[in-house]
Amino acid sequence: MRPTPFEYHRAESLDHALALLAEFGEEGRPLGGGQSLVPMMNLRLARPAHLVDINGLPLDFIEVEGDVLRVGALVRHERYLKEKVIGERFAAFHDAVQWIGHPTIRSRGTIGGSIAHADPSAELPAVAMLYGATIIARSANGERRIAADDFFLGAYMTALEAGEMVVAVEFPLPPAHSAGAFMEISERRSDFATVSVGAQITFSGGSITGARIVATGVELQPIRAIPAEEALSGKPLSACEARAAGRAFAEGIDPISDNVASSEYRRSLAAELTSRAVEKACQRALEAGQE
Amino acid sequence: MQEIELEVNGVRRRLSVEPRRLLADVLRQEFGLSGVHIGCAQGACGCCTVHIEGVPRLSCLTFAVQCDGASIRTVESIGGVRAEHLLQEAFRSEHGLQCGYCTPGYIMTLVPFVSRMVEEARMPEDEEIREAMSGNICRCTGYHGIVAAVRKAIGDQMAASGGANHAG
Repeated sequence: MRPTPFEYHRAESLDHALALLAEFGEEGRPLGGGQSLVPMMNLRLARPAHLVDINGLPLDFIEVEGDVLRVGALVRHERYLKEKVIGERFAAFHDAVQWIGHPTIRSRGTIGGSIAHADPSAELPAVAMLYGATIIARSANGERRIAADDFFLGAYMTALEAGEMVVAVEFPLPPAHSAGAFMEISERRSDFATVSVGAQITFSGGSITGARIVATGVELQPIRAIPAEEALSGKPLSACEARAAGRAFAEGIDPISDNVASSEYRRSLAAELTSRAVEKACQRALEAGQE
Repeated sequence: MQEIELEVNGVRRRLSVEPRRLLADVLRQEFGLSGVHIGCAQGACGCCTVHIEGVPRLSCLTFAVQCDGASIRTVESIGGVRAEHLLQEAFRSEHGLQCGYCTPGYIMTLVPFVSRMVEEARMPEDEEIREAMSGNICRCTGYHGIVAAVRKAIGDQMAASGGANHAG
């Protein structure tokens, strides 16, 4: 199939883009990398009457300001792998990027697009929740800052309103004594995730002081694995009982069932991947301590 | 309709297109470049891969209007009419294709990868080759022949450029 007819507008500035989006309301969509929106249009699952091409806007930045890493909406996925600060401070983010699509998609797809599209199996929404990121949305009426925890409402559903677009995502820099990891299972490498889990721990004196764990593939939006987070608190890094944490999380969920995986299989994946992500995070924490 | 100018395989042309037309369709129908294959039209199979400003892109996920002023290369620009690029030769000798539907996409995805490996003067592990072609689906070969073709092309090209370097 091919898309339904639409009008194409090339935004000359952010204000121009926001004015166009305000004018078109529900009928308008920003076009970034197009790696999620255009497939939806080809399948006629999305039928915007107006596309506002934002590729020329100066939103392709990664900067550290104080305790915050700001990533502009137009940053292409492949760039995270080259950013020192992401490799050094955001290991789970770095892990996750390698699971996004395939190289051609990673060279074109953007963080703003992935966040706004909110595919249930996408990595970056989970990464945003894992680090407690803030989504910066702009419209002709001004700016809104939305916590990632409150942003993803369901499959392809977000807190964005008509006329609003994501302009940046702000990740608080993790504290010095922290470590993370991201694990995923998909049917084929480069295919959509069946289940993925990110874990981020803070530690002190060889013990876990706090954990944040986020999973996709359980509900239609990423969810926090709070029972696993609680189970890890106070555990020694060298014997953190990751399996028990994974089980604690899996016991309390009722995963979706679809043509890719049954609910039961997703439950066992959620337990296993939680365990693996936590173990990897602890291992990284111990390695960092030895340096 | 929107007026755009494209430079395709070295030839500049102005044309009018409906915004909803995919670059893949415009290349096939307006430029007669039937080497641009369309498999899935949703970014999963890689058959429609072309180069936009030298970078592999999925022409089924790109609207032609977005490419106004851009330089585009299709598989027709690789290796001449006899398809004599070393990677194309290696696809033939290593059983890198059978039906050939996916082949133009593989060539366009892998030509820059092969060049990069030759520039870096290193032979990648199979895993790295498989990652590089993970956006392309082939239903005939089982992929082993394609991986072998990539290795052969890198080796042959290194030998060729190594000779040139020594000569220089």
